[in-house]
Amino acid sequence: MDESLRKPPPRSWVQAWFDPRRRDLGTFAFVLNRVTALGLTLYLFLHLIMLGNLARGPEAYGRFLETIEHPVFVFGEYLVVLAGLIHGFNGIRIALTSFGIGVPYQKRIFVALMVIAAVAGVIFGVRMFAV
Amino acid sequence: MLAEKTAPKAGENTWLWLLKIASGLLIITILIIHYVVNHFVGEQVLLTYDDILRYYSNPIVPIMEGIFLVFVVVHALLGLRSILLDLHPTRAVLKAINGLFGLVGVVSIVYGLWLLIVVAWRGSAG
Repeated sequence: MDESLRKPPPRSWVQAWFDPRRRDLGTFAFVLNRVTALGLTLYLFLHLIMLGNLARGPEAYGRFLETIEHPVFVFGEYLVVLAGLIHGFNGIRIALTSFGIGVPYQKRIFVALMVIAAVAGVIFGVRMFAV
Repeated sequence: MLAEKTAPKAGENTWLWLLKIASGLLIITILIIHYVVNHFVGEQVLLTYDDILRYYSNPIVPIMEGIFLVFVVVHALLGLRSILLDLHPTRAVLKAINGLFGLVGVVSIVYGLWLLIVVAWRGSAG
């Protein structure tokens, strides 16, 4: 094939970053792991700070609970639950392959673990939004 | 293609890498308990102040949550450090990162344990 035809059209780095085409499953696994890692780390420190309301007594904690009952916070909390499920289940694959276990099957392991995470995500979604 | 194996990266000590994995596995176990308790046990979706005090009056709970706190903080900071290592920091920057993360880790754990003790104390008193 002519070399010029095989070259992708020039793209800006923004397009290059966010273009999901021609990506391998492993790239998605890597991106999912990093994005959820950053989100969960941010949440961890927010969570620790916000739980400081417990030390201030029942009234302060009650007011805090009233605030986070707002649908926007419930949705945010649901994202945290999903991120934890994805990062945790994908982490099982990373731990296994780190010790050389299941390396040839890791794509299948990844897909299976993500299916489990999705099912758990639906169960938590029903519980968090139905009540 | 998925990498053959994950391995410690340049600037990441093998023991720290191993600690990241080991803490990750421990966290998964406790996180499942943490999620189920916080979203499936209470009458409402989240535990109230009284629910939390009652829950923490069982001595196993503050011990479990204390272990959880230490390992989550360590795992989060080691993970963030390993992401920053991919940006190839200079030796001086890495030293600053190590110092800052060490401080953040210690402060978070001390604060978190203090909070745990306060809650467990109130739970056992009431």
